[in-house]
Amino acid sequence: MSVKHSADVVVVGGGPAGSTAAALVARRGHRVILLEKETFPRYQIGESLLPATVHGICNLLGVTEEIEKAGFTVKRGGSFRWGTNPEPWNFLFAISPELTGPTSFAYQVERMKFDDILLKNAARQGVDVRENATVVDVTTSGDRVTGVRYTDAEGTEHTVEARWVVDGSGNRSRIWKGVGGERHYSEFFQNIALFGYFEGGKRLPGPDAGNILCAAFDEGWIWYIPLSETLTSVGAVISREHAARLQGDQEKALLGLIDRCAIVKDFLSEASRVTEGVYGEIRTRKDYSYSNSGFWRPGMALVGDAACFIDPVFSTGVHLATYAGLLVARSINSVLAGELAEERAFGEFEGRYRREYAVFYEFLSAFYDMQSSEDNYFWKARKVTGMQATDLEAFTTLVGGVHSRELALSSRNLAEAVERTGTMQTESGERMFHLFGTPVVTDVMQEMNQIQARGVLGEQTPEAPLLPGGLVPARDGLGWAEFSGA
Amino acid sequence: MSLTHERVRGDVADVLSEPPAEISDDENLLDRGLDSIRVMSLVERWRAAGVHTTFIELAEHPTVAAWWQLISDRMEENR
Repeated sequence: MSVKHSADVVVVGGGPAGSTAAALVARRGHRVILLEKETFPRYQIGESLLPATVHGICNLLGVTEEIEKAGFTVKRGGSFRWGTNPEPWNFLFAISPELTGPTSFAYQVERMKFDDILLKNAARQGVDVRENATVVDVTTSGDRVTGVRYTDAEGTEHTVEARWVVDGSGNRSRIWKGVGGERHYSEFFQNIALFGYFEGGKRLPGPDAGNILCAAFDEGWIWYIPLSETLTSVGAVISREHAARLQGDQEKALLGLIDRCAIVKDFLSEASRVTEGVYGEIRTRKDYSYSNSGFWRPGMALVGDAACFIDPVFSTGVHLATYAGLLVARSINSVLAGELAEERAFGEFEGRYRREYAVFYEFLSAFYDMQSSEDNYFWKARKVTGMQATDLEAFTTLVGGVHSRELALSSRNLAEAVERTGTMQTESGERMFHLFGTPVVTDVMQEMNQIQARGVLGEQTPEAPLLPGGLVPARDGLGWAEFSGA
Repeated sequence: MSLTHERVRGDVADVLSEPPAEISDDENLLDRGLDSIRVMSLVERWRAAGVHTTFIELAEHPTVAAWWQLISDRMEENR
């Protein structure tokens, strides 16, 4: 016999998506149970954050001070050895040194620490957090999902009945199937990441020391993330065709890839690989870009990697996860308050989430296209030309509902803007006017900036609907409201 | 609803937490502590009021006069 529990919402997974959704629903006084398979703190990859998470979501969650005190590396943007320019160039969060702002930075975080802060905060906000709880499946009644079944550390079976199941259980879980539909993979971004940690790696000069560095080489690209003054996360993203290589000696494979990427090789020339503790392991992960065909059905919604994933080059993992956590919390809160019908509220959740995914996917396609194709397979296969442009656009349409721009044109615009901006250690390289002015980047920044602005300027910030005929955030940012008009 | 010169000045004053009378037409708003996030929130306010401007347009010429010129041109185009 299973032990029975009930709640307004049951959240599966205690990562950033789940703990954000849980905390923001509990914030409105609703009963939330969160089920986490592991015991926190636990290791996770996806260490580079974007400002919308740090200043928008963390502010709503009430963890700003705690995050500040954690001493994470301050990231003012990304530095890229990418495209035709042999010198690295910057994508900074501030438009220029004069037009910087209180939110023009993010952090590089050890996910063990960051995720633990968010989960403990959810518990403080009233969420019933249960670790070592493995969700087996969802329960249904007719068209509706009605809860989940899980087993605890002792193997005892439990059932939770809830108005909604929020699945934030990550990329390897199968709980998402409870929503129905399929998982669509992008043909173009089926990459594999191989990663480890190093002590004593070099840093970019001056204020860029905390930036993520993404460096392209013949077979893919490498991330170089400064987690502390001495600890660096280093990962090679390569084509899945090379997966066989990763079967043998993974250390040799990673060091071999680093050896072929000049800038990272130089940065690590005096560094040593961490071989003990949680950072001592070399890990691999399938970084295939995918999106599910549906993000919700009555009684259930998907957030974070359970819903969709995009290539790691823009540090979007935690952003998409926490953004979805915020959106779903708004939808749930509005329905529980009796203000909106489920269809209307969750339509807004899915519409905004898909838009965010699609604009990043377009940016990604244009971004990969900038790297010269030359003769090597990895880059040629990711070039936006002819038939491929059509297929890339078809994927955006499939997963985003629409594709807004011609990708070949976006790619040209972006390459030109990078060229006009110049390299990182020039005056022009400090000014993001050209990059921020390109349509693909404008699309990507729109909603992120909005979330940040709310974090800084508070409840008084009026917003227009993001989607045609769509809803706007309620005053407290925790629900939706109909737009009362300009 | 359409925007007026005084509403534009008032919105600028509001995000900068200054009295509207203190903000002159031609002063550089960067000197008043205008930053990127405040520019963004102004884009959004004016979008909610039905006038579309972009971040870059506002950031390039950060004065009330230049912004009012831009906004009144936009409202003219949409008429």
